[in-house]
Amino acid sequence: MSDWLRVNPIACEAHGVCAELLPELITLDPWGYPIVAPGPVPPPLLGHARRAVAACPTLALLLRREDDATG
Amino acid sequence: MTAALTGSAAQAAASAIVVTSKTWLWYVTRSTGLIALILLTATMALGLLGGVRWQRPGWPRFVTSGLHRNVSALACTLVVVHIATTLAEGFVPIHIQDAVLPFGSAYRPLWLGLGAASFDLMLVLIVTSMARTRLSYRAWRALHWTAYLCWPAAVAHGLGIGTDTAVRWVLLLTVACIAVIAGLLGWRLAYAWPR
Amino acid sequence: MNRTDQLPRLLPGTAAGPLTLDEHLARYGPVPLRPAGDLIAEVSAAGLTGRGGAAFPAGTKLAAVAAAAAAATRPGPGQRRRTTAAVIVANGVESEPGSDKDAVLLARSPHLVLDGIAVAARATGAGRAWLCLPADQPWLAGSLREAIAARAWAGASPVPVQVQEVPGGYLVSQENALVSWLSGGPQQPSFVPPRPSDQGVNGRPTLVQNTETLAHLALIARYGAAWFRAVGVPPEAGSALVTVTGAVPHPGVLEIPLGIPLGAVLALAGLHPAGRGPAGPPPPQAVLAGGYLGGWLAWPDAAGVPVSAAGLRRAGAALGPGTLAVLPASACGLAQTARILAYLSSHRAGQCGPCTHGLPALAEAFGQIAFARPHPDTIAWAGQLTGLLPRRGACYLPDGGAGLAVSALRVFAKDLRWHAGHGPCPAATAQAAQDARAAR
Repeated sequence: MSDWLRVNPIACEAHGVCAELLPELITLDPWGYPIVAPGPVPPPLLGHARRAVAACPTLALLLRREDDATG
Repeated sequence: MTAALTGSAAQAAASAIVVTSKTWLWYVTRSTGLIALILLTATMALGLLGGVRWQRPGWPRFVTSGLHRNVSALACTLVVVHIATTLAEGFVPIHIQDAVLPFGSAYRPLWLGLGAASFDLMLVLIVTSMARTRLSYRAWRALHWTAYLCWPAAVAHGLGIGTDTAVRWVLLLTVACIAVIAGLLGWRLAYAWPR
Repeated sequence: MNRTDQLPRLLPGTAAGPLTLDEHLARYGPVPLRPAGDLIAEVSAAGLTGRGGAAFPAGTKLAAVAAAAAAATRPGPGQRRRTTAAVIVANGVESEPGSDKDAVLLARSPHLVLDGIAVAARATGAGRAWLCLPADQPWLAGSLREAIAARAWAGASPVPVQVQEVPGGYLVSQENALVSWLSGGPQQPSFVPPRPSDQGVNGRPTLVQNTETLAHLALIARYGAAWFRAVGVPPEAGSALVTVTGAVPHPGVLEIPLGIPLGAVLALAGLHPAGRGPAGPPPPQAVLAGGYLGGWLAWPDAAGVPVSAAGLRRAGAALGPGTLAVLPASACGLAQTARILAYLSSHRAGQCGPCTHGLPALAEAFGQIAFARPHPDTIAWAGQLTGLLPRRGACYLPDGGAGLAVSALRVFAKDLRWHAGHGPCPAATAQAAQDARAAR
């Protein structure tokens, strides 16, 4: 079980705040939508990840505890 | 000894009046009201800038959203002080419930009521935003639109309550706030319109 | 019924209309009443996977719905007890162009599907079911309603089944889109979680299962997991319906053991990889396996690829809803891919940014590749787009489109080089002209 960053693609409106706050794990595609690095969130970045989740204007970024088998 | 503190004549008269122990509260009320108006305008402006997704290399989006949150909290704090000092000062016949129940006061019910209504909406905006994760996004967004009622009510309260409206720089300040929001609102509507 | 491990299992011998209830019972025997837990265990042991396209293990889905339904009926503190919480959605909408298997199954063996619904209802404790059919085939709906009425009259209908004719385009048979529509909402996929097994139609735990999967379920309930696994090339289990179309002598719906080579399947449709007479037509050049969200396989190179979800995925294609479309030598694979991508793009829900922007961009790029003289930048951009689409939407549409494009760039690489050097080939030009005439 670890923490995984997921994007709700229906809620996402490409504000891009997540990529500003967590550039280590999130980059933006040519249209401004987030590309999340694969794999669970490394523990040192968890605080930044939580801040990015809270900052998303549409609450499209989610931090979930999941089995490591998912991916 | 107190005097009816309205109008520029009153301003002139005030300098001739002995400062009572309660006058400083009255100044605090008026000044916090003005600063709250500025901060509320700044909050609205930052919200609108977020809506048009404005950013610059040195000003990322999260600065806009973070400032919007913090400035709104500061504005609300100042409004609370504004209300508290008004009640404490006791010069105008206002009771505590008039701060949240609009249009029931003995003193200038309409203009004071607008202030109370604005304060109510401010509380709704802040509480619902703090509890964002517990609401559906659509519900939160619909409630957040009441900001478009909250800010005009505050401006109208400031203009109509008459305390400093005759003072030119106060009037200019209010007009400037209205101009800024009107401009940004136009930009925001233009941004959303082509869709 | 011949209970040995032989085919056909799902489709009765003749194509002469649906089996009546009596004929059905004479052929297959009655469905034994078994406890829900036993049924689910049997299905899991059989290794039955969904036949609608995703190939998700049916036993796992049944167990998830049963668990969610049990949790829903167990009242929490201060809650009222809700009975029959779960619902069944039998998905026979079959919106994939070129797939006929569900229509054929429902036309010939309706009672097998209806048995499957009853078995699934028993396994999950469901209280009602919808049988979803395409709205453009009213005769099918009529036939199924008759079959349901016959069962009700014979007292063989423990769970009410409502036939629902579903209008709409490509996405409508996607699981969440169908559930959304049945709940009175739009035909649009939704973000999971929650999955339909937890919260589906009107918030109830919902089992969405393809009609062919339910037919297999009905037979597993009768004859068991070992019988089911007796057919199929290990590790694949069971039989599947496939629709073979295109440049074959005998196109149509076939029932095959899972895991047999592609060449064997197409041989059943009359196509043989080796040898043609001097006057015969040239052999086909490729096969589209898995529908519009599947992938191309070169022919006859791919004759040995096992026809199964895993086998086809390894080869860069997919099983999907079991469609195998054979591309003649006279056609242009790049042109067909461009047309399919344009179709997919026009059917996107428009909810998710990467697909809303990326899929039309990919279709546009492939239009350049197929019908113009593509610049190397365009080809590179198409490749880049195929990397930007997967796993970034709420449904499989962008993933499938990207997969199709990747397989086309690989299988038709020679044609790609020719187009880049000379512009569209004659086959592509002819296709474009035909499309223009049809559009008028």
